[in-house]
Amino acid sequence: MMMNEEFDDIEKQLWEQMGNLPTPNPSPNMKTRFHAMLDTYKAEVEDKKASSFSVFLMKLKQVFTYKTSNNWAYAIILIMMSGIIGYFAGKPNNQAVADQNDVKKLSSEVQEMKEMMMLSMLENPTATERLKAVSYTQELNKVDDKVIDALLTTLNSDPNENVRLVTLEALIQLGNNPRVREGLVQSLMKQESPLVQVALADAMVKLQEKRSVKQFKQLLQKENLNKAVKGKIEKTIQVLS
Amino acid sequence: MLKVKTGDLDKMGLLFERYHRALLAFFYHSTGQSAHSEDLVQTVFYRMLKYRHTFIENGEFRTWMYHLARNVLNDSIKKNHRMSYQSDMTSMSEQAFTEPSADKQLEKKQEHENLHAALAKLSSEHREVLVLSRFQDLSYNEIADILQTTEGNIKVKVHRAMKELKSIYLKEMI
Repeated sequence: MMMNEEFDDIEKQLWEQMGNLPTPNPSPNMKTRFHAMLDTYKAEVEDKKASSFSVFLMKLKQVFTYKTSNNWAYAIILIMMSGIIGYFAGKPNNQAVADQNDVKKLSSEVQEMKEMMMLSMLENPTATERLKAVSYTQELNKVDDKVIDALLTTLNSDPNENVRLVTLEALIQLGNNPRVREGLVQSLMKQESPLVQVALADAMVKLQEKRSVKQFKQLLQKENLNKAVKGKIEKTIQVLS
Repeated sequence: MLKVKTGDLDKMGLLFERYHRALLAFFYHSTGQSAHSEDLVQTVFYRMLKYRHTFIENGEFRTWMYHLARNVLNDSIKKNHRMSYQSDMTSMSEQAFTEPSADKQLEKKQEHENLHAALAKLSSEHREVLVLSRFQDLSYNEIADILQTTEGNIKVKVHRAMKELKSIYLKEMI
């Protein structure tokens, strides 16, 4: 950095002194901590990959693998299962039906409670709490319009960039919902942060949302648009057109 | 970073080797606390992994890195609800001047302490431009990209920051 010519003598002296201010050396365990964090992260990524599909396939394979040594066991289990099914299908038990209704009612109440908790946590002033709230959407079996609207509002107006990014990730998971897709397209013009703009561009490509091209073109007209973001948007328009 | 983005996470080790000292200096001169700064550096590398998909192919890595670092710093200040700058400079100065010393070294130590005290009192906006320009050796153009403003605006900010620093420093001396 060149010394500013407009500085007076004292300012020049301070500028020089700043260059001589000592900076601490990294402690020896800093590198160890970094590698531990990296290893943990890699393990998490591997776990996710493994647990998602291959484990499911393996288990499915195991269940359907026919083992001759277990012939008798298979036969007995099949007979017992068909007996049980036949018993319940033939004689509907009033108590069992009532219990089933209770369970359904209870689970829908739990669902409502989770939804309420999530909506109120989104209003929390602490970003960490709002992040938690967004992550709760994954636990909701059914996401209704109220939740979607709350998430879209968070995406468009939360002051914390990380919260907005996590919200975007959650909304991408709900990409089949037309309301979500429409909301994401509309959000393009409301975002100022380059990170979120880029993440939204990725999302549009992922969801193959061609309606966003018009919004992207409008965004390109914006003054002060980050150079890198501009490049990304141009690429996205090419992919989607 | 592009390799990290495409899944070669081991390459993050190279980025750590190259940039951890610069990031440590950024946080140390922004917060005045060395141990806390190491935690913040760790958080930046974690976020690089987590948000690697947001890195743009033709983008400048340093700009993206300082963008994340600024967010980490702001989050930390909000989270801790305390003064953004608490200097442990005294121990640093002692560390730097433990060599057999003459009066001159003592004088220099005093100068550094005064300057650190003045930096601590500087507004966070002005401290940020000074840290980026003086301690990170970034050009005005790069700083403008990080702060999403124009190069001219950064020049003005640095100029004003130096005026404010001088005024605080001179008050400290009295």
